[in-house]
Amino acid sequence: MATSTLPPVTVREGLAQGRRRRRTGGGWKQLAVSQAFLLPAVLVLVFLFVVPLAQSFYWSLTDFTGYSTDVTFTGLSNYRTILTDPSMLAALGFTLLFGVGTTVIVTVIAIPLAVQLNKRFFGRNFVRSLWFFPAIPSMAILGLVWRYILSPIESGVVNSVLDDLFGIGPFGWLSDDSLARFSVILVGIWSAAGWHAVLYMAYLQSIPSEYYEVARIDGASPRQQFFAITLPLLTPALVISTFLLMTAGLKVFDLPYTLTNGGPGFATYTITQSIVVSGVSQGRYGLASALAVLFTLAVALLAFGQLWLTKTIERRFV
Amino acid sequence: MTRTVRRAALSLGMILLACLVAIPLYYVVVNTFKTQGDMVAAPLTPPSEPFLGNYQQVLTDPRIYRSFVNTFLVTAAAVLLQLLVGALAAYAMVVRTTRLNRVIGGLLLLGFIVPGQSTLIPLYRTLVGFQLVDTLTGLVIMYLGGSIFCYFLIQGYIRTLPFEIVEAARLDGAGAFQIFWRIVLPLIKPILVTVGVFQTMWVWNDFLLPTVMISTPEKRTVVLQVYNAVSEFTTDWPMFMTVSVVALIPMVVFFVFTQRHIVNGLLAGGVKG
Repeated sequence: MATSTLPPVTVREGLAQGRRRRRTGGGWKQLAVSQAFLLPAVLVLVFLFVVPLAQSFYWSLTDFTGYSTDVTFTGLSNYRTILTDPSMLAALGFTLLFGVGTTVIVTVIAIPLAVQLNKRFFGRNFVRSLWFFPAIPSMAILGLVWRYILSPIESGVVNSVLDDLFGIGPFGWLSDDSLARFSVILVGIWSAAGWHAVLYMAYLQSIPSEYYEVARIDGASPRQQFFAITLPLLTPALVISTFLLMTAGLKVFDLPYTLTNGGPGFATYTITQSIVVSGVSQGRYGLASALAVLFTLAVALLAFGQLWLTKTIERRFV
Repeated sequence: MTRTVRRAALSLGMILLACLVAIPLYYVVVNTFKTQGDMVAAPLTPPSEPFLGNYQQVLTDPRIYRSFVNTFLVTAAAVLLQLLVGALAAYAMVVRTTRLNRVIGGLLLLGFIVPGQSTLIPLYRTLVGFQLVDTLTGLVIMYLGGSIFCYFLIQGYIRTLPFEIVEAARLDGAGAFQIFWRIVLPLIKPILVTVGVFQTMWVWNDFLLPTVMISTPEKRTVVLQVYNAVSEFTTDWPMFMTVSVVALIPMVVFFVFTQRHIVNGLLAGGVKG
């Protein structure tokens, strides 16, 4: 198709130009048809989002258990329970730790990694593939595999290697509270670092090489080039990457569930696991809903924060 | 001279580091070719003679095939429906901006932000009422929530298309559905493929919804099947590793054919809708 001969007017611009004209034209039939196109999405929105959210909010204020027909309004007592229940507090704490921990460390690894992977060297594609690979399979399966690797008993791979090489151990990688938290976060970083490096790489490749040439002529060191050119121009990628990491971190479920099942005790318990266990297995709908409401608010806050940040940055850099 | 040395050093360093990252992968694959005794004796060395008994056992077990079929059906149905719902809405929203549409657009943003976990419990109860829990249909319905994500990426793409094409088709008297099917869908194929790849990876790999929804062994998805294999092979590690490797093969093959679109998608996420 000879798109190149068309005047460069996009749908967005066309709409802006013709908005007033178009509202009168078209007729009712056209309007009905285009509204019909929206219908499936509206049904999805109403039945999979609006109604369940409203139900969650209502149940969060009651002692609904799913069985009893007489539901009593209990006000904020479910929310109070969350803030005193040790398992839920543990879930909030570890989910935050996981979210912040993976976001910070993956970012610190992924940016330099992207810079290196973007240079020319022997075996580059092979190295890129190996880093990226952990992002492909299901996190649940990876968690199960790591459970064997980090097995706290002596025949666990890591423990047997440490014993052979240094004669130390065995360590309770998954049975000691702090070590279990460390292990879950470590596997989370392992699985995400390569993916985010590729994201940064995609943005690195859009930086014009002239910038670096000019900087070199001016005598800027590689270090100065990184901080003065690369990092500022990577800011949009940084915002997206950290947002994706943080939301994924807050939603985390598969990895801790399969690696440690939330244990030992509640050391690696997550918000999602808490919602599933109290809601589906224990039938404490009121409590699970209150947790879901708090969780929604936290994620929404994060999303709007990111939106605001992106706008601010666009205004400053573009 | 120093440049060559530096490049060689970089190569060596990067390859070593990447191998370190890939050790778990190596460990899993290498042990699928060992008996349990061999594995305990030397977990990291390659087998002196590859043992194929594990694969023989896994590949003759009908359950793994059944779970592949289940996962394939759910993924295909869910992703195709998500794309259809998303594309229809995106087209309608871009072509006609009424006040009502703008309100709906704002509400759709809500669906974009709200995580699946927040609506899980009420939806689960509703599906219990309709007897759709523990069915693959129920699972597909749950995944339809992903349509909103598709909508946002697709409408961002439609806005960058040449305006005249749609306008001209309409002036030629083509019906709305005809325009959508014959003109818009082929035009937006690149974004459909990119979004489709991402949604496929999500649905195929998902563990949360199957573990909440599915209890009958015959209806398990692949990931759920592997999860249940753990309790079955608690002591037989090589068998479990083999099940995992077999389960991962389709996703790896899928990735090899679609990796170009994944990189495109990472960039599209930055362009934003």
